[in-house]
Amino acid sequence: MAPDTSDAAQPAFLATYLAGLPRPEHGHPGPARSVREADVDGHRIVIATSYEITVDGRPLDVHIGLSNDGSAHCHGLPAYQLPSLVDLVRVLVHTFPDEFPPPTTGHDDEAGPDTDHDTHDHAHHDHTAHDHTAHDHSEPDGGR
Amino acid sequence: MAVVRRDILRDDAARAAYIHGVRLLKHEPSSLTTGSFGIPGPSRPVYTYDLFVIWHVLAMNTAVPPGGDAGVRNAAHRGPVFLPWHRVLLRWLEAHLQRVLDDPAFGLPYWNWAADGSPAGPGGVANPAASPLWRNTPDGFGGQGAPVRGGAFAFRAADPTSFRVRIAANSSGALRQVTERGLVRRFGQSAPFGSPRLPRTADVASCFDPKADPSVTDYDRDPFDVSSHGLRNRLEGFVGPGLHNQVHLWVGGDMAPASSPNDPVFFVHHCNVDRIWEGWMRRNGRRYAPDMTAPDSLLGHRIDDPLVSPFAPADKPDTPRGVLDSTAVNSYDVLP
Repeated sequence: MAPDTSDAAQPAFLATYLAGLPRPEHGHPGPARSVREADVDGHRIVIATSYEITVDGRPLDVHIGLSNDGSAHCHGLPAYQLPSLVDLVRVLVHTFPDEFPPPTTGHDDEAGPDTDHDTHDHAHHDHTAHDHTAHDHSEPDGGR
Repeated sequence: MAVVRRDILRDDAARAAYIHGVRLLKHEPSSLTTGSFGIPGPSRPVYTYDLFVIWHVLAMNTAVPPGGDAGVRNAAHRGPVFLPWHRVLLRWLEAHLQRVLDDPAFGLPYWNWAADGSPAGPGGVANPAASPLWRNTPDGFGGQGAPVRGGAFAFRAADPTSFRVRIAANSSGALRQVTERGLVRRFGQSAPFGSPRLPRTADVASCFDPKADPSVTDYDRDPFDVSSHGLRNRLEGFVGPGLHNQVHLWVGGDMAPASSPNDPVFFVHHCNVDRIWEGWMRRNGRRYAPDMTAPDSLLGHRIDDPLVSPFAPADKPDTPRGVLDSTAVNSYDVLP
């Protein structure tokens, strides 16, 4: 029997609606670009900034945004708004470890947000050392 | 008759029903497969619970106005529709839970995280990880882990009925399939990776105290983004003590990415956010901003603009105005 897409109480209704939504584009080839705009005394300020971010030498294909206070954000981490772009990239690497395999050893397991790769729970990690390096070639706002 | 939403730690029946309902939705085929949503990889069934993960990811990737920057404002976050859109999301989940539980009186419970984030007494130290919410028993959510191995949402590789994450967002915020894995939580990570503490009762009270911040008598203010003053941005957490954002950061793991509804704690967290909003409206009236005189650059966030919601008939779509008063559908046992 075909699923009922007209009855809002049925899952097919919500599923069909979501399947019809526009598909967002996620490819951001090339340097990340941020445009900030503001007005003052009748003048229009536009600050366009480009970032070339690499992790282990590979370009980071993530849409980075900067707010007018200089803080950084990205789609992948909606609850984060960090004063340091370097810290934002550190959080990305930590949250999506399967997208940033260790530079010296390959692995092909499919991990989730900072999923442990062994069978033990670790309540705390040492966040002071990372194998990954984020290169921010164009830091605005006094290097933040 | 309006259902009553209750404190998940004070109502064992509501907590048990929520857990049971989530597990049912997690195994109910939605009728569509991953390919229907443009999710790369082999075609796999999409289950009803996971539709809410997809909806959240798509909404927060939807720039409003169209052609704008979803990183500035989007259809779910970083602007005035944050509270109305999530109210709609909760209403839909609640309706599906009522259906699978065959209980039209079921009300989505809320997690009063500020109670867990506050010391029990003067001079005390809060220990939110010890909250009964995280019990490793069938009536608890399980604690932290990678994967979570206790409670109702524990992962057991050999048990296909155990809780699994199937669809997630990547670092770009795009939907992806994951080889079925368990839920991940990492409580209280230090900055910048997380937050070492949950919001406290006094932090919630700041939403209602114009002496501390005169702007909180307004719902939102120009420029209506993450720099705004007013209730919405304080509660969303980009200004002030952090509140909504801080809870995502404290739980960590699957609560961090755009696919945060993967963790069932997402909905009881947002139910509490909605409760705080309702408490604000009790004090300040069912007011919203911006109105329809706002420029097109705020299209999608104005009071009569359609939300990204399935209730979208041309004559009466879901709008912020339309959801300001939901007391005919649901209410809370206690408002802050």
